[in-house]
Amino acid sequence: MGIPLQTTPNPKIQPMTWLIGGSLAIILLAAVAQTAAGAYDMTWRQAWNALTDGHVWRQPAMLARLLLGEAFAKTLGIRDTEPLATPTLIVWNVRVPRVLTGILVGVNLAFSGSIFQAVTRNELASPFLLGVSSGAGLAVVLVLILFPAWGPAIPFIAMLGGGLAFLLVYLIAWNRGTSPVRLVLGGVIVGAVAGSFQTALFFVARDINVIQNALAWTVGSLTGADWRQVRLIAPWSVLVVVLAISAARYLDVLLLGDSTARALGMTVERTRFLLAVVAIAAAGSAVAVSGLVGFVGLIVPHIVRMLVGSAHRHLLIGCLFAGPALMVSADAFARLIAKPVQIPVGIVTGLIGGVFFLFLMRRRREVGRP
Amino acid sequence: MNPAKPTADAKGIHGQVLRLRYDPKQSLVIDEQSLSIEDGKVSALIGPNGSGKSTLLRALARQLLPDSGSVILDGRDIATLPTRELARNLGMLFQEHIAPGDLTVEQLVYHGRFPHRRLFDSLTEEDNAAVEGALRMANIAEVRQRQLGELSGGQKQLAWIAMALAQSPRYLLLDEPTTFLDLAHQFDVMDLIRRLNRELGKTIVLVMHDLNLAARYVDYLFAMRSGKIVASGTPAEVLTTDTLRRVFDVETRIIHDDPLQSMFCIPVGRAGRSADK
Repeated sequence: MGIPLQTTPNPKIQPMTWLIGGSLAIILLAAVAQTAAGAYDMTWRQAWNALTDGHVWRQPAMLARLLLGEAFAKTLGIRDTEPLATPTLIVWNVRVPRVLTGILVGVNLAFSGSIFQAVTRNELASPFLLGVSSGAGLAVVLVLILFPAWGPAIPFIAMLGGGLAFLLVYLIAWNRGTSPVRLVLGGVIVGAVAGSFQTALFFVARDINVIQNALAWTVGSLTGADWRQVRLIAPWSVLVVVLAISAARYLDVLLLGDSTARALGMTVERTRFLLAVVAIAAAGSAVAVSGLVGFVGLIVPHIVRMLVGSAHRHLLIGCLFAGPALMVSADAFARLIAKPVQIPVGIVTGLIGGVFFLFLMRRRREVGRP
Repeated sequence: MNPAKPTADAKGIHGQVLRLRYDPKQSLVIDEQSLSIEDGKVSALIGPNGSGKSTLLRALARQLLPDSGSVILDGRDIATLPTRELARNLGMLFQEHIAPGDLTVEQLVYHGRFPHRRLFDSLTEEDNAAVEGALRMANIAEVRQRQLGELSGGQKQLAWIAMALAQSPRYLLLDEPTTFLDLAHQFDVMDLIRRLNRELGKTIVLVMHDLNLAARYVDYLFAMRSGKIVASGTPAEVLTTDTLRRVFDVETRIIHDDPLQSMFCIPVGRAGRSADK
């Protein structure tokens, strides 16, 4: 499916190979650093031994308990397993899930950004610009501060918040159909309002711990991510990746403009809406586990597009690797740069994103041209 | 099949008492106009800027829904046709094209197969054949791997026509396909349109400005002014000094050129200020 390659070799294959290879190398490097270093320091060899510990790999029951969760494993009747050595325990209970969460968040944000950039036909679009992240963020802060008992439902609440925000954006933008510019303007409005409410909520909160927690969350952080986070986001990541890659052709045709897309037989508004739902699910589930990590959804599609072009089958496959590479390396940096203090990863991505965009605007004059 | 009111002449596109506007708050661009596009012919809408040519063309392709009136395509009301099915019968190209600069000609033409493929469908032999046919017909097979951004305006236009051709529609609606092109490419495009009509039997509707190209390449003309069709017929019937004065407010001289079997309209000045008499 998608773009035919049978006539001549595709010139994008070469950059794609480099992109995937480079991304995998970065992910691996960052993952190893993440695994070895931290409050409980190990040598790389120790970390490697813990990662490959036969007590984990040779016991399907052990793996199942880690991946599925203690409670669920029990209901499945998976037997108890022998206790693990401390390094193994730390690596497998704390560090591996954090890396995995980073990978999945990276995938989701990059995919969300790619989809939003196509449906709004605006290379500067992202879940942030369209108010989706702010909506999800407001919903989560609301829960953290006012309804802490609803904590377990946070992913759904985040998606709901993101979804509501986007619906609002759509309503604002709607005028016998939508246009990319109106959508972005609507996003800015909703984002500003949601952001204000979110800040206001901090003044309502009494408990300083809650405020700190919520604050870390609005910056975006993977601190404390464990297998629960992996389980929360993984199904959404799989769903989003499968749906988006199968809809690559639809995203491509949307880039030809609404009129042409319609002339080609697309029901433009419905397609745009459904794709936006996929992007919201991606962003909402990412926000639910990592908070508001900025710029990943914006810059990853940009970098990938510069390397492999704008055809979405290539773009999305590139994002599948580049998104995690940025997220995991930024998180490793955030966690280890000021040891023992952990900086929220959102600060690092914000820095990288800001600098990257400056570079982009200076180098490519067409950025921001109508 | 659920045929909407069968019309006397089922084949072709029939716009019936169309009232068109872009915004309910604005006044009508087209007020109760009807026209019939004959099957198997090349037709063109001509008229001054703002006369409603493009608006009417958009309505025929369901790009603009009429306030009232209907468009009947091969005996069926297009308002009731599924979008995909409409796109398999009727292709439309607009005045301005949007596409990523790095899109290749071949990728663009493959997008023409969109209405023939479902979400998870992979490319079929039929898809490949339609794309090959379109590339060859438009004479752009050699530049298939080039990016749109590197092509000349004329080649770009041919690539877009090839995309619409890959749709395999019976009807092709083109909004000012030659307007921004140099002379040689204007002929490339018009020659392609003629071949699509003669060799593949496509019915073609154009909006165009160049009366001399229209005289040479078009079978049937609709002349519009202020949202009304004020004259229609063969070029010989429509391109008269009288009609052109009414439509364009210009004085023209009509010259018949026998070797080309065509006629030429030479504008000599604005009507009413005739310097020439």
